[in-house]
Amino acid sequence: MKKSRQTKRCDIKVALAGNPNCGKTTLFNALTGATAHVGNWTGVTVEKLEGTYRDRKSDLRIDIVDLPGIYSLSPYSPEEVVSRDYILSQDADVILNIIDATNLQRNLYLTTQLLEIGMPMVVALNMADCLRANGERIDIKELSQKLGVPVVAISALKQKGLKELMQAVKEQKGVEREAISFISSGILKDSVDEIMLLLEDSKHKLFESVKLVEGDKLMEEKYKSLLTQIKEIKDRNQEAQKRYNGNFETCVADQRYQYINDNFSGVITSDKEKPAISKSDKADKVLTHRFWGIPIFLLIIFAIFHLTFSENLFYLSVVIPDGAFKDVNTFSSLFVDTEYEEDEEGNISGANSIKSPGVFLQGLVEELGELVNGAREVEDAVDENGEPVQEVVEEGGWIPQLLKDAPDWAYGVICDGVLAGVFGVLSFIPQIMLLFLFLTILEDTGYMARVAFIMDRAFRKIGLSGKSFMPLLMCFGCAVPGIMATRTIENDKERRSTILLAPFFSCGAKSPIWYAFAAVLATTVGWNSELTVFGMYIIGIVVAMVAALILKKVSGQKGVTPFIMELPTYHTPQFKSVTIHIWQKLKHFVFRAGTVIAASTIVIWYLLNFNFKFQMVGEESSILAIVGGWFEWLFKPLGFGDWKYIVAAVTGLIAKEEVVSSIEVLSGSVEAFVSMSGVTTAGVVSFMAFNLLTVPCMAAVGAASGELGSAKRTALAVLFWILTSYVVSMMIYLVGTYWWTVFIFAAVIAAIIVAAHFINKKRFAKEEISKNA
Amino acid sequence: MQLLSSPIGKQVKIVDVTTDEKTKNRLQNIGIIVGGQITLLQSNFGDLIVKVRDCRVAMNKDVAKHIIVEVSNEEVTTDQAL
Repeated sequence: MKKSRQTKRCDIKVALAGNPNCGKTTLFNALTGATAHVGNWTGVTVEKLEGTYRDRKSDLRIDIVDLPGIYSLSPYSPEEVVSRDYILSQDADVILNIIDATNLQRNLYLTTQLLEIGMPMVVALNMADCLRANGERIDIKELSQKLGVPVVAISALKQKGLKELMQAVKEQKGVEREAISFISSGILKDSVDEIMLLLEDSKHKLFESVKLVEGDKLMEEKYKSLLTQIKEIKDRNQEAQKRYNGNFETCVADQRYQYINDNFSGVITSDKEKPAISKSDKADKVLTHRFWGIPIFLLIIFAIFHLTFSENLFYLSVVIPDGAFKDVNTFSSLFVDTEYEEDEEGNISGANSIKSPGVFLQGLVEELGELVNGAREVEDAVDENGEPVQEVVEEGGWIPQLLKDAPDWAYGVICDGVLAGVFGVLSFIPQIMLLFLFLTILEDTGYMARVAFIMDRAFRKIGLSGKSFMPLLMCFGCAVPGIMATRTIENDKERRSTILLAPFFSCGAKSPIWYAFAAVLATTVGWNSELTVFGMYIIGIVVAMVAALILKKVSGQKGVTPFIMELPTYHTPQFKSVTIHIWQKLKHFVFRAGTVIAASTIVIWYLLNFNFKFQMVGEESSILAIVGGWFEWLFKPLGFGDWKYIVAAVTGLIAKEEVVSSIEVLSGSVEAFVSMSGVTTAGVVSFMAFNLLTVPCMAAVGAASGELGSAKRTALAVLFWILTSYVVSMMIYLVGTYWWTVFIFAAVIAAIIVAAHFINKKRFAKEEISKNA
Repeated sequence: MQLLSSPIGKQVKIVDVTTDEKTKNRLQNIGIIVGGQITLLQSNFGDLIVKVRDCRVAMNKDVAKHIIVEVSNEEVTTDQAL
């Protein structure tokens, strides 16, 4: 061990290593008080996280590094390389290996490899309490003796045994531990020993020697010059050659498992017979059923949308008589729909539906907004020439009352600028949070890993695999973590395609746009707002599917990542990890509303009320109107060639919540934005689709750029998003206006796919020929 | 016999894995290895859920068809269900 650690501020550095989904991040959060995201599927952590544990008694500072989960030290996907490289760098003082007690043998497969690195190590036996519940026991003393390192039973979730664990870590610091290997007795012993002699200067002789026997690609790269000698040594091992047909990788794995089986089977004792089919398996029989799996998933998703966006909970209006709620008080009207229509004979229809929790919460925040900043409604009026026009009327509000006598600009910047913009965003936060809550619960139960499995088959047809499912699903929350999660996909082309598709999965910040416009479309053309919102998500998914198919054909991608995924055991969602996740998201959105969005509303308000000569003018001659006007022609084919629409869409690049807040600043309300612009219904839908599909917010573009790895690919991605949004919006507008154009578009898309198919065929044929020649 | 056609719920022995090296490596890491035991739990048109050493693993048909198994004669003991 290097002892020159004085320069560092921490006293001990610990690396958390363990299988995916064994509770590393839960332990990390418990130790450091951090709030990193924990999910019940493999691959939640894709980068190393660092945090600090403070020992109160001795005032020691222990830095903890959470690494992506690994099954072995022969890495398979990029995020696993991160873990191996970090462990081998010896930056940490102690390795803390976490073992899932309910799956001991598989976890020990990694442990025995970690032991081959001569570093101080402590084993944390997690979920030992779950094991006891199953009537099983692990002999910790025996396990510790056999492994040669301290073993501490903990429960990361219930935060038990953590002090003892940290105590063990402290004691291990600086301890010289000799690397040990399972191999010492088996048929590979001679080969490993001989190769070790070749690696004189290596810090991890034993480990590297075993990896070289195994034929590890990264290690062979490192010792290129020794390869012939190593091959000779391996060739000499007749027994291994014969038993494993010359496949040393299988040989090492088999010997390792053999060793674990021989030595550690006795560590676990069981009181009762274990049922061959567990509860989890029974649930899987239904939830991953070959026919029912996908319908059940769609039903669950629909139920989530229903609870979040429905104005008519469980369609109860079917049984509740019309007009039942027409006379309820203001408080009750938060829960039920009070609007009704009366025909000439006095028959009442409406006012008989109950609001979903999402709509109720949204209404609550909206009321608050109106209390503070007043209500803005579009009303019919007449202008000075006696022509009927619509204008925005303001009513009430504490702040507008307070600022009655303030100068125009101050009133404008506060009420029409900041407050209108910020409340425009805030009122949608309850629904975003509710949607997050449901998705997090589904994820935490372990169901989402199953969905990846049942979707794999469908995804494969369009050049993706079930591996793309989790990242894309995360994009419904936010595209940034979604794009980062694509690291778990091994196939490069598939990974890049997945990143390109990420923005099409409507993120939480975009949902205010759908909700606001759905409410307007409900009043203007009577569309069911729940279905309108759902429809936007569907448009995104359909576009993603078609785009994936086109990408597959254009890139000539052959084959996708083979799908192999561990299915976690179902468990009831953990209140703590769910609430932490939701709280994080809430903070994120409120923080953004208070900073980026408030600031940019001021800028937009200024640009909307001043001209290039810094004079306060009517909006028609403002800077925004002039600059936006230059581009109106470009958006005419999309049905919204109106500068206000263009401004709103462009501000979405800062953050997607910005679209609605800009609209509030530009027109006072979304209703006015639509009714006073002369944009048709088809144009409005086209505008929504444009916002859904176009370049995502800067944060997401940044994440994509990081994952794509080059400026050229990022530029192409941005171009791809602009093109897709432009083309699809135009299609929506044109088909919505002239329905028969649908045939033209269908023909064009089919032609592109067919053409790409044949071009690829030629390309492959050429490649074949050049290969043969 | 391919794993695909092995009887559901019965523990069988893996005799060969014929995938490419990378996939093989992945399978090994997750516990699917020649000589090991595996139980088919569910098959959706060839996409499988299997039980290996007490954990559930999902795989698609392209992987599954490369796993060759035979009905094992060994008695299934409790400690193998570890």
